[in-house]
Amino acid sequence: MATQDSPGEAFENVDWDEVDAGGGGGLSGLLIAEVTAYVALLAAFAYDYFVLANESPTIGSWNVKDVEWLFALVLVLMFFHVVVPLVRNRRMTAYYWRQFRKNKVAIASLVYLTVLFFIGTLGPLVWAGPNSTIDFATAYAPPYFLGGDLASTDHFFGTDAQGRHLWHLIVYGMRVSFEIGLIATMLSITIGTVVGAVAAYFGGYVDEVLMRYVDIQQTFPVFILLVLLTYLYGASLLLIILLYGVFSWEGIGRLVRSEALQRREEAYVRAANAAGASRGWVIRRHIIPNVSGTVITAATLAIPTFILGEAALSFLGFGDPSTFSWGRTINAGRSDLDSAWWISTIPGLFLFFTVLAFNFVGDALSDAIDPRR
Amino acid sequence: MGMKWYVARRVAWAVVATWIAVSITFVLLVAAPNPGAEAAAQQCAAQGQDPEQCRENYLRERGLLRPLHVQYIDYMGGIATLDWGYSFSQEKPVLEAIGDAWVYSAQYFIPAILLSALGGYSIGLYSALNRYTVADYFGSFIAYFGISIPNFWFAIMLILIVGVWFRDAVIFGFALEPFSLRTFYSTDFPVFSVKNAKQLILPIVVLSTASVAGQMRYSRTQALEYANSDFVKTARAKGATGWRVLIRHIFRVALVPLSTILIAEALALLFAGSFIIEAIFQIPGLGRLTLDAINQKDTPLVIGATLIPVFISIMGNLFQDLAYVLLDPRIDYGDR
Repeated sequence: MATQDSPGEAFENVDWDEVDAGGGGGLSGLLIAEVTAYVALLAAFAYDYFVLANESPTIGSWNVKDVEWLFALVLVLMFFHVVVPLVRNRRMTAYYWRQFRKNKVAIASLVYLTVLFFIGTLGPLVWAGPNSTIDFATAYAPPYFLGGDLASTDHFFGTDAQGRHLWHLIVYGMRVSFEIGLIATMLSITIGTVVGAVAAYFGGYVDEVLMRYVDIQQTFPVFILLVLLTYLYGASLLLIILLYGVFSWEGIGRLVRSEALQRREEAYVRAANAAGASRGWVIRRHIIPNVSGTVITAATLAIPTFILGEAALSFLGFGDPSTFSWGRTINAGRSDLDSAWWISTIPGLFLFFTVLAFNFVGDALSDAIDPRR
Repeated sequence: MGMKWYVARRVAWAVVATWIAVSITFVLLVAAPNPGAEAAAQQCAAQGQDPEQCRENYLRERGLLRPLHVQYIDYMGGIATLDWGYSFSQEKPVLEAIGDAWVYSAQYFIPAILLSALGGYSIGLYSALNRYTVADYFGSFIAYFGISIPNFWFAIMLILIVGVWFRDAVIFGFALEPFSLRTFYSTDFPVFSVKNAKQLILPIVVLSTASVAGQMRYSRTQALEYANSDFVKTARAKGATGWRVLIRHIFRVALVPLSTILIAEALALLFAGSFIIEAIFQIPGLGRLTLDAINQKDTPLVIGATLIPVFISIMGNLFQDLAYVLLDPRIDYGDR
């Protein structure tokens, strides 16, 4: 045999633990970086939670709240599990990008969403909170492009009934929308993927019990549950996000299950089983990576539904009263529709285009990942 | 065994699901602070009485201090015997309040669902057979628009345009004033009258825009699935025209999945949509009843109004599954 010449390279001499750790120093370095990021985030959170007083600002004048910590955690997670793999697998990324690029509208949507994301996350460091600009002297100022006595470049999009700058309300609303969209989606795809993969791979009673639970969850519409729970417990953005994340994964769960049922019969899964891989290993290393295309597409299309749901809740008055959700601003402008139509219209346009952009990107992604459709 | 056994099991499961859903509402009620009791305690504190005493009185009057299992049996028994308690804000039994309200929801809901199914299926099927034409792009434009536009914002924009701007807008010398519609619902008009129909136009437009997109997408994918199947090719070879193929051959097969999707879609819309539409247009239907109950802290009515959509959803899912089995002989119902 050829390998006899170099015994160090022989198959039976391979240190499989090292291979499993990623086959080289690159990934373990990455793992260290990821763990360090989590630890740093946790330490910062602990410092804010235990050391700093409740209302005192964390960084500069910005008091980081519970949802924002969670948002930071999700962003770190996304960086290590979406951005890093894309950079590492350049050839694959380039291929998908070429597919994606064919859709010009989707590219424009992606640019729009990226700009909105950065304004939403970093904007509050630049623009003051809406409540600090209350000034009844400039209430109902129309947008600058309409002209009028009160119009000024200072508040380009006009002001609301309390003289708050509409642009500030929009910027703070962007953050709320991205928080609900990304955190709830991350939660629901994680639970949905794990449940779907486990149900499909284990089958039998595990499958039956999990899918019956999915049935029950489906009969309890999450919107009704949210209304009932905010009635009983009072509204907070964290509660809304967690409820959306924990109680609306049934669609993704079903999708992953049906996809994983096919994967389970593939040769590589049977090979792994025959080689003695544990069930957890097969699910983690073989089934979940191979359904990730479905999951990513479903996730992109789930984001806009969560954003719309939260906006609708806030519009009805069930939202968190301490956040500046777009739905809440639109509702506030409803009574002034005759005299100051821009208060409802402009935030609504932002909401509409955000949801539209996510839908465009999601459809383009699903075309790029699965060209059969 | 076979189909009857499947149907029996499916119905039994619906009963179990109902029982679990009602139990969940009970657990939520017991676990959460009682909003009515909190309000009573606050009122007493404002009047200088002992708030704890008031809270206890409030809970005792409603039998909420009894052992949990007694309360549970009482609660389940009440739901099962259609004794859903008394709504103090509506000053009538909960079921009567719900019975009075649903008519107003149905008035705009049924036309909207029929309209969106009709419109969605025709656009979807047509664009599937004429891919990459202007009609197809128009169809996908409608789909994206309907899915992405926030219901409540769309309703407000329609009110702004039709109710506010039309009042004094003039285009090419024509005053648009006659086209201006009532933006708030009035219960004074009889159900089948022109005035009532006119004031329902906006709610129907909003609801069907949200729904038409989904119907269109599903019917398009369904039609594309069958467009190249053998029986369609055979029909074409025999010389059937485009519309005949579409309606007699494709639509007939696609109708089973489409009708079940219609049920699911309609239910989802009923829940979220009715709240929004009735809040904006001030229609005294089921959604508005729930909102009022929440604002008045009328717990029996809140529970009653949340159970109705849950029951409808369980029944909808049941009929959906049964319809599949009864309508499509290819489905294997043996082992599940």
